[in-house]
Amino acid sequence: MKSGNRELVDRLAAEYVLGTLRGRARRRFERWLVSPQVGDIVKGWEERLAGLEPRLDKVTPPTTVWRGIENRLELRRKPATRWLAIAASLIFATVIGFYVLRQPPVTPELAATQKALIQENAQTIYWSVELLGDNQELAVHVQATHALEAGKALELWVLPAPGVNNGQPVSLGLLPAQGAERRALTAAQRAALVGAKQLAVSLEPAGGSPTGLPTGPVLHVASLAPA
Amino acid sequence: MERTEPLPPEIELAQLLQRCAAHDSAAFRLLYDKTSPILFARLLRMLRRRSVAEEALQDVYVRIWERAGQYEAGRGRALAWMVTIARYCAIDLMRRERMTLVGDDALSEVADESSGDPLLDKPNNFDECIGQLPEHTRNCLTLAFVEGRSHDEIARLTANPLGSVKSWIRRGLLSLKACLSTEGQAA
Repeated sequence: MKSGNRELVDRLAAEYVLGTLRGRARRRFERWLVSPQVGDIVKGWEERLAGLEPRLDKVTPPTTVWRGIENRLELRRKPATRWLAIAASLIFATVIGFYVLRQPPVTPELAATQKALIQENAQTIYWSVELLGDNQELAVHVQATHALEAGKALELWVLPAPGVNNGQPVSLGLLPAQGAERRALTAAQRAALVGAKQLAVSLEPAGGSPTGLPTGPVLHVASLAPA
Repeated sequence: MERTEPLPPEIELAQLLQRCAAHDSAAFRLLYDKTSPILFARLLRMLRRRSVAEEALQDVYVRIWERAGQYEAGRGRALAWMVTIARYCAIDLMRRERMTLVGDDALSEVADESSGDPLLDKPNNFDECIGQLPEHTRNCLTLAFVEGRSHDEIARLTANPLGSVKSWIRRGLLSLKACLSTEGQAA
């Protein structure tokens, strides 16, 4: 960014965060927010001006508000993804997932069809994930080391498309701490990947989730995009 | 100091947001229960009318659910992220409703001074830096940020020319940034 532009962006960002940038100018500025540089400048002002936040007494909203939110998001119609429910059928998927990890690397020639980046932000990418040959194989490359306490593991999941596998995540195995891994996907994993748009990473006990579903917090969610 | 209901712990909110990103609607409900009284109070402070604030609160949580995947745990505090969404939703709603200054009847719905917890952490030396600004500038910044007032409204409310209000705000923001970054380096 040129320095003149930077000053202009800084001024607009400050008034955007303060709230005095209004109307069409506000809309226009919001379109710039897709730029990580502009995003960082806005973030800086959000942190600075947070000091102006007032003290407040909490006020409980009427229950009609929650019902309105539920209706707008159609949360009722979609059954909640039962993260903690233990589904016997899924233990199968996890067991297979562990097996896959122990298989020797599969050999070449499949082209990447989809990819995802597991990242903290635009600057810090932990893993790049590729699905090869229409979900026949999975390739994972470590880009930056992810912090991980002893006795824990990071597990990769696919969040299936609506209606697939009752909307429940399916394990794609543990994420490597270093280097790269490539492995074949099982039929269950391939089925879960059809139409899926997102992958997730959860924190699990060493060896992976004991239930076949994520048990620890979901640390990252990444979008799948065509390679 | 009496603290009846402390703010929910940050780590818990961050984890709930991450579960929302993975479409966990039970986590979303929990997040709503823990944070909606805070965000509702914040919206009332800007929008003043309960019915409008209730509409805004729906917008806020729809946006939180849809954007939970954009929340970056390492970069910002979860409550700060949500309060910011609430402020921006309120500003958008004011535009939609073409809201202008409202009468005293609506003002009476909201207590201006409260004894609640400070919502967010202040940057280091924020009080010193804001204290160095002229009082009229501080008032303008507060009316804009806390109450969501536009340049025009601030000019009318404080009976100052619009041009002065705009330049006080612009200079005030620049001074604040300069002061906070100097103090930050010194610390």
